[in-house]
Amino acid sequence: MTDFRQIENNLKKEAKRLLEAGEVAVVLAYGRGYDEKHPMPFAAKTIADVESLVFNEYCNFNMASYLMRYPWGTKIAIAAKAADSRAIIQLVQEEKVRREDLVILGIPAYGMKNQKTNEVVDSKTTGGLYNPVIYDILLGEEIHGQKIVSPYEVLAEYEAMDKEERWAFWKSQMDKCIRCYACRKACPMCYCDPCFIDQNKPRWADKAPQSPGNMMYHLTRFHHLAGRCIDCGECSRACPVDIPLYLFHKKVAKECEEMFGQAAGMKLEDKPVLVDFRVEDSDKILE
Amino acid sequence: MSFEPKILGIACNWCTYTGADLAGTTRLHYPPNVRVVRVMCSSRINPSFIFRAFQLGADGVLVGGCHPGDCHYNTGNLYARRRLAVTKKILEFAGLEPGRFRVEWISASEGNKFAEVVQEFTAQIKELGPQQKLKIDELQEKA
Ligand code: SF4
Ligand code: SF4
Ligand code: FES
Repeated sequence: MTDFRQIENNLKKEAKRLLEAGEVAVVLAYGRGYDEKHPMPFAAKTIADVESLVFNEYCNFNMASYLMRYPWGTKIAIAAKAADSRAIIQLVQEEKVRREDLVILGIPAYGMKNQKTNEVVDSKTTGGLYNPVIYDILLGEEIHGQKIVSPYEVLAEYEAMDKEERWAFWKSQMDKCIRCYACRKACPMCYCDPCFIDQNKPRWADKAPQSPGNMMYHLTRFHHLAGRCIDCGECSRACPVDIPLYLFHKKVAKECEEMFGQAAGMKLEDKPVLVDFRVEDSDKILE
Repeated sequence: MSFEPKILGIACNWCTYTGADLAGTTRLHYPPNVRVVRVMCSSRINPSFIFRAFQLGADGVLVGGCHPGDCHYNTGNLYARRRLAVTKKILEFAGLEPGRFRVEWISASEGNKFAEVVQEFTAQIKELGPQQKLKIDELQEKA
């Protein structure tokens, strides 16, 4: 089990050191919320801020989504769990941040919990990794010996459905959407400004929270995240009406991995699969 | 009354559209169900065009581009191939019949291939019947 205390202490120690030495302008991590269960994304900019840093099993936020708020070239330290580190890699691939501007404070974490349901966050709703893929400083001990479950295992049940049933499932899910865009806000890969759904010319879809507009929003969002979603599961945890967006994202990620042989956010030198091609890609993928 | 499907065709200017022209000038017969929109390259096609077409009542969508390697812009269709493959998977996982969306490489000299593909695809869509899943109720949204 992860020693959250130890990580919190190390986080404070490193944050203090980095800020004191002027190595970074800001430390992106977690701060106290109104109670233990609701920590908040927190940007520590001064040494006094460091005392407010926390880390516990509810610190699920993917802090990578805050990286693009700072001017290009800002030196940033960022707390990164496994999925968050993949998000960072993906953002580096997309040239949204530079690796050399970041100090990645890696957090190996097993036993993170969903604050709404208290369930342990694992491969059912996320990529199911526990150690950061990339880091400069590790804030805790690496986790070994956990059972490795494919993040795509949960899909079997949905893939087995017949198409009518699957359509009915997704339609009923999408119909719940209230278009708060919390999913988009939580997602480190949703950085477009303006988002296609906010454009007026062309107006891609109705903006009212009704069936057709919802469907258009989500199908397009799934597409825009193809080969980019790093399966942190934050979109689904952010959703106030509990739409299992992760299922669709996982499915698209799985297909991309099968077709193009590369998972999102694993290697700095990769290119996102949809801005890349191989001459020898097969036409079979279109069947 | 028999069902006459509405099919959206999106064809690249340099190959498939010219191929369609050739089919016309050589007086080949093919069903009039496909309404062709011309784009400069298959990579111009935003996947949302396809989702939107289904929402606005298309029973099928047919995309045509140059053969891989022959794109007028060299690599457009190589990007498009990957992108449209993803579009297809998304439609499928959402629960739409996979047969309603098709991508074909048709060159400027393949007028007969164009006619054949249109014939085949139209027959297939007739078989599948009207597309109702994504189609929006006009009262619900005025686009
Ligand atoms: S789509 Fe969801 S799971 Fe994927 S990167 Fe964005 S927030 Fe994370
Ligand atoms: S968070 Fe949920 S309700 Fe809000 S826009 Fe996203 S899917 Fe819809
Ligand atoms: S010009 Fe025909 S596919 Fe690019």
